[in-house]
Amino acid sequence: MEEPRTGVYVCNCGTNIAKVVDCDAVADSAAQLPGVVVARSYKYMCSNPGQEMIAQDIEEHALERVVVAACSPRMHEPTFRRALQTAGLNPYFLEMANIREQVSWVHDDGAVATQKAKALVHAAVNRVVHHEPLDRMSVDMCPNTLIIGGGIAGMTAALEFAGAGKQVYLVEKLDHLGGNLARVDLTAPYLDSARDIIADRITRVTDNEHIDVMLDAQVQSLDGFVGNFKATIRRETGLEGDGPTVSVDVGSVVVCTGYKEFDASRVTHYGYGKLPNVITSFEFERMLHEGRVETKEGRLPQYVAIIHCVGSRSPEFHAYCSRVCCMTALKYAREVKSALPKSYVSDIYVDMHAFGKGMEDFYRRSAEIKTLFLMYERGEPPVIRRADPDDDCEMLIEVHEQLSGEVIEIPADLVILMVGMEAREDSGEVARLVNISRDKDGWFIESHPKLDPVATTTEGVYIAGTCAAPKDIPDTVAQARAAAGRILGKIARGKIDIDAVYAEVDEDKCSGCRVCNELCPYVAIEYDAETRRSHVISALCKACGACVAACPSGAIKARHFTDEQIFAQIEGVLA
Amino acid sequence: MTFEPKIVGFLCNWCSYTGADLAGTSRVHYAPNVRIIRVMCSARIDPTFVLKALHDGADGVLVCGCHPGDCHYSEGNYKAMRRFPLLKQLLADYGIEEDRVHLEWISASEGQRFADVVDDMTERVRALGPSHVRFDLASDMAER
Repeated sequence: MEEPRTGVYVCNCGTNIAKVVDCDAVADSAAQLPGVVVARSYKYMCSNPGQEMIAQDIEEHALERVVVAACSPRMHEPTFRRALQTAGLNPYFLEMANIREQVSWVHDDGAVATQKAKALVHAAVNRVVHHEPLDRMSVDMCPNTLIIGGGIAGMTAALEFAGAGKQVYLVEKLDHLGGNLARVDLTAPYLDSARDIIADRITRVTDNEHIDVMLDAQVQSLDGFVGNFKATIRRETGLEGDGPTVSVDVGSVVVCTGYKEFDASRVTHYGYGKLPNVITSFEFERMLHEGRVETKEGRLPQYVAIIHCVGSRSPEFHAYCSRVCCMTALKYAREVKSALPKSYVSDIYVDMHAFGKGMEDFYRRSAEIKTLFLMYERGEPPVIRRADPDDDCEMLIEVHEQLSGEVIEIPADLVILMVGMEAREDSGEVARLVNISRDKDGWFIESHPKLDPVATTTEGVYIAGTCAAPKDIPDTVAQARAAAGRILGKIARGKIDIDAVYAEVDEDKCSGCRVCNELCPYVAIEYDAETRRSHVISALCKACGACVAACPSGAIKARHFTDEQIFAQIEGVLA
Repeated sequence: MTFEPKIVGFLCNWCSYTGADLAGTSRVHYAPNVRIIRVMCSARIDPTFVLKALHDGADGVLVCGCHPGDCHYSEGNYKAMRRFPLLKQLLADYGIEEDRVHLEWISASEGQRFADVVDDMTERVRALGPSHVRFDLASDMAER
């Protein structure tokens, strides 16, 4: 067999790959492989000139296959597939070798890294020979959307769909909309009321004919695939327990399940739960909302202390920053001062994070209202103890103050702990339900942190707001609208292309043993009693390949992951 | 010259391959001995892939999938898990040391763990020395 004419493109990724891997050497070695008619090394293959180079070579060298050695295929496989398609070559005639994430970023010995890159390119060239032209399937896009979570993110997204005249099912676990934001009084930096923001949205969402609000409800199952999901939603009916279930057809899902606050009693040296006037930021919000800043005993506090990073940026608890607490703490300092002008407010922080629009100004203005700022180090948090009876305060806080280098003891009658955000305890359940991944902290993982922040690895399932990571209201709203925008674009097209990768049964080889029928988690394999053969319903198949590996007759083929392709790859990496 | 083992890694697309990518984006360095082949799910890993790799000169084979309960295809990794002991038994019959073939669960967030697994596996295979696998894969393949 004559090898197909193959072009190999080794990306330098600026210096990301080239600083470790000798890209020219990788291209030179690829040029010696059978079928390779052109092999080049280039600064940025994903750039326009890079893609044009491939397109031009496809024409000039009559290329039939293309190998791009660059970043992870999870990053740019769609980019290069499009480049092939534009040049008139079937997009599945591409194979990528991952020489960035899995070579140059993880190895520092240039010679060894270059050798590994050569092996991966060899494997890709071997594999691509066996690639087959595949056609993507075009299926109808259901214009309805399921939104899980009725906080600010879920409501914002719902209104976007409704505004475009599209049906939304908004499922909320609790008996009311509003989420965590409904528990907040004023918002930084403009001190506008969270309740105003929320109340207006709740009314618009509840009154909208396109939004079906389901309270006390939970999504029980989600089946199907992008454009064609079926969701089962169970409504709780109070004391009765499990209520009736409804089944809805949706094309997309937006997960807006939010966060939960860190449990302050986990930090033992703050005495939360033991010292009555050590409270969390959310408890303080409730006080503000009720219009009374006072101790549990109903006295007006003379000394108010605010402690930052409770559960966040901590070696023991969460390493990440919860992003909203610093500015919320400043907001509290201002609100305490405005409620109790004679009080003393101390703000005990690690670093003051004032990122975002208007925040640095807010910090400056807040610093002017005579707040005592004390800086502590992450590993050495303050310790709160009860004051002696003859002290004029209820508690004393010992702070290893970083700027002065001294141990300072400050009085407090009321201590507000700025509790961070953490992933909800049911985030694992939700992740499994909609088939997305979580990071080590339990946050949902986006398709790409920079370039695709609201999509997930499951097509048709999107994430918005604080279920993906701590964020503030503007970012949450932006994500909710972004997710809605992405989905509305797909709805507008009416059809969506789904990947051409699925399993196929060679009915001549099938013995009708039905082993595969039981294995398929998607019930995508049907047995025809008349012909005594099984066949795959391609639209239902998600291409895991479990049936392929299990078929005793070798009758099932995983398109784009065939035995021949993988064997060729094995030979390549070991050559 | 010291012996550098060649290890073929079969990684599922959704958890393990993404975890390996995360090791990269986090710049966690690890032994360069593993060459990764991506499959959609650990359930796709046909035992013959492992045999083929050993036959073609791999000193070790690493198979990685999503953690139990976290499979992108809900239960593919359980199929891989059930197949694996059978494969190990077969390898023992061929006289292949147990430590040459390894199954690990790596999630998309476990970049560091992936690096640790690779380092660990590389050292274990290095300690075993080069593989001297002798078996006739051709007849096995012919049956397929």
